Amino acid sequence: MLFNSIEFLLFLPLVFALYWFVFKKKVAVQNVFLILASYLFYGWWDWRFLLLIFLSTVVDFFVGQKIYQNLGIKRKARYWLWVSMAFNIGMLGFFKYSNFFVDSFVDMFSSLGYEIQSTWTLKVILPVGISFYTFQTMSYSFDIYYKKLTPTKNFIAFTAFVSFFPQLVAGPIERASNLLSQIMDKRSFKYEQAVGGIKLILWGLFKKMVIADSLAPIVDDIFANYSTYPASVLILGVCLFSFQVYGDFSGYSDIAIGTAKLFGIELMSNFKFPNFSRNVAEYWQRWHVSLSTWFRHYLYIPMGGSRASKAKSVRNIIVIFLVSGFWHGANWTFIFWGGLHALFYIPVFLMGRNRMYAGNVVGEKSLFPTPVEILQVLLTFALVTFSRIFFRSPTLTDSFQYMNRIATDFSYEPYVHPMGYRMVDFYILLALFVIYEYLIRKDERNPFKFKSKVVRFLLYSIIVLTMLLFYDDGVNRSFIYFQF
Amino acid sequence: MKKFLLRTVMYVFLVLLALEVLVRVFHLYTEDPPRFIDDLGVEKRVPGHNGYAVTGNRNQNFSEFKINVSGFNSYREFTPSKSKYEIALIGDSFIEGFHQDYYNSIGKKIEQKLDSVEIYEYGYAGYDLANQMHLINAYKKEFDLIDEIIIYLNYEGDLGRGEYEPNHGRIAMLSSTVFKIRDNIKLLAYGSKIGVLEPIKKLLSRGGFENNTNISSDALNLDEQYLENFKSLGRLYGFDKCKTTILLDSRKTSKSFLEYCQENTIHYIDFAKKFENANEPVTLIYDRHWNNHGRTLIAECIADFIANRKNTAQNCNQEVPQGQTR
Repeated sequence: MLFNSIEFLLFLPLVFALYWFVFKKKVAVQNVFLILASYLFYGWWDWRFLLLIFLSTVVDFFVGQKIYQNLGIKRKARYWLWVSMAFNIGMLGFFKYSNFFVDSFVDMFSSLGYEIQSTWTLKVILPVGISFYTFQTMSYSFDIYYKKLTPTKNFIAFTAFVSFFPQLVAGPIERASNLLSQIMDKRSFKYEQAVGGIKLILWGLFKKMVIADSLAPIVDDIFANYSTYPASVLILGVCLFSFQVYGDFSGYSDIAIGTAKLFGIELMSNFKFPNFSRNVAEYWQRWHVSLSTWFRHYLYIPMGGSRASKAKSVRNIIVIFLVSGFWHGANWTFIFWGGLHALFYIPVFLMGRNRMYAGNVVGEKSLFPTPVEILQVLLTFALVTFSRIFFRSPTLTDSFQYMNRIATDFSYEPYVHPMGYRMVDFYILLALFVIYEYLIRKDERNPFKFKSKVVRFLLYSIIVLTMLLFYDDGVNRSFIYFQF
Repeated sequence: MKKFLLRTVMYVFLVLLALEVLVRVFHLYTEDPPRFIDDLGVEKRVPGHNGYAVTGNRNQNFSEFKINVSGFNSYREFTPSKSKYEIALIGDSFIEGFHQDYYNSIGKKIEQKLDSVEIYEYGYAGYDLANQMHLINAYKKEFDLIDEIIIYLNYEGDLGRGEYEPNHGRIAMLSSTVFKIRDNIKLLAYGSKIGVLEPIKKLLSRGGFENNTNISSDALNLDEQYLENFKSLGRLYGFDKCKTTILLDSRKTSKSFLEYCQENTIHYIDFAKKFENANEPVTLIYDRHWNNHGRTLIAECIADFIANRKNTAQNCNQEVPQGQTR
């Protein structure tokens, strides 16, 4: 069930009403209802996915207990942690990466002159959100192993934690210490929280339906026909993809966080205006924060993080970015994308500027950014956008050919929309979007933080009107990150 | 909770109200002048309605219409007489032309190309050949005075029946309260136009029974059926081969139908080549109706045909060379 579908428009008010009017008396009842709603939400795609998520829930619930029981015996605790890892990564590997490994193996032998028939390629469908909920359940096992969490004996609460529908299919990837603790407690309705939720849902829908969906046909056209376009159009294509993927994923996250608020639960922020980052390190503190945090806690720091020697730290950074790239998809393009980000990040790290902008935003003390900040933001945006050629292209060959055309066919040609729409509409839309995001850049959880009720009301009306103005019945409304 | 629900409802209502105002101010909605069936069973628009038709979410195509006394969108009143040279252009929404200003219609473009000719545009969205031939028959008096009749035939959609039956059900539906509400709430009319309501319609129709039509998917059988319908309509309402010409796109018309026209000296104007050779798009962005360039090409085809006919004083029984654009 998509957040931007008519089914969800009916599902959400119904579940909300039942949750607060019928199933509000006990926390256990609240959680059982959340599980039912979440399983309905997830099973809407394919009921078979439910077996998988239930299996993952059962395994991690019991493995969590085992890890905790054996914390005194390091070897045994580690054994059970490996069981959890093997199960989750095994499941991910089977459903997401098996064909990638088989095909890469076949390609490798082919390049050496040995022809192998790829008969092992499996016809498996990728369960939606598997990368997200397996990481979430793994975090539970890790936290118990590192003694940051006591495992719950409440299977219902744990099941609700794993399957909580707002963030089930595309995050934010929550740590048990944040989400499970809230699920264990009885939720009571808070007016301000619910209003905040509605606002975030509205803003998220705007980003998805207006920014991402209206740019999708343009980006699809340019990347599908890149060999026929000059450099100016190819640069436009990848720039627009930057906005599309941001609108798509951050829109989803906003809707998820907003929906969770409606049920009395606070999820972590996943996007903090990454387009205003002043270097790549800051970008990773603002883009897909829950995944970056996951990798930092459970991979980077256990490997030694930045406390090791410079050489080891650089190695750790490379590993993190390559794994992060591979997490996104079973394709060499994502590994290259991750590798490129490592290359962009390492100089910032070696100069000691990787934490420089943590806790402050561009134009922190003034309305306008300084010229230096503008240059920094533009440079970071250019680097990140450049890397997205790999992220968006179907194969490595396509990525390199796309870049090759930019480098060798440097000519200008005005782009004509595939449906014949006026392109200026989209340019104006993006310009206004960037300006508005800049105005609200200090608080990603409150996109309508204006004192005047009239101003807020006008904004709501304009946003809904813009959704109508850019509504396209023919667009595929799925979210990009569902494929990961 | 009570405060939250009340405020949410209030905000939703106010936002919808603001949207209704904005949609009206920017005229984002399209107007659809009312329809009716007259005493002779002809379906048409209620005379005297002026307004604007809009296509696209953002007013990408904005055009003025004017329903004349006869009930059709035209800059002219239809006053045929023996002393003038009149051409009736009959067809569906392509001829009705709500996607163009009524003063820049195909008829107007033809008149600009030919001297002393009046074009009467009998266009109505939803007309098929049965409607068109019944119209000619019902208004026989007027059509006897008209010198040329050009019928636009969309082969794939216009030959579905062999006899005309007025569609009272459709008119009743369009006059129903639900449709009146839709037309009066401009936000709803706009939402319906841009497809926002489609997911709701799909959801409501999910689980319903599929229409079980008896139409064979076999193209050959369809062609035979279409041809039979064409002959049937001719028998019922008459087909004056001397002054009636079919406007068609041979790319979308079956070979057997074209051959039938050849064999029976039924004249047709084929605009396929003009469209194929067009150096710019001939249809609108938001639907398949002809844009200004498309309409100009259609007008050129008709004007050339009429000019040629007037110059050569072509005999109505003259053989028609196969595949030739007239």
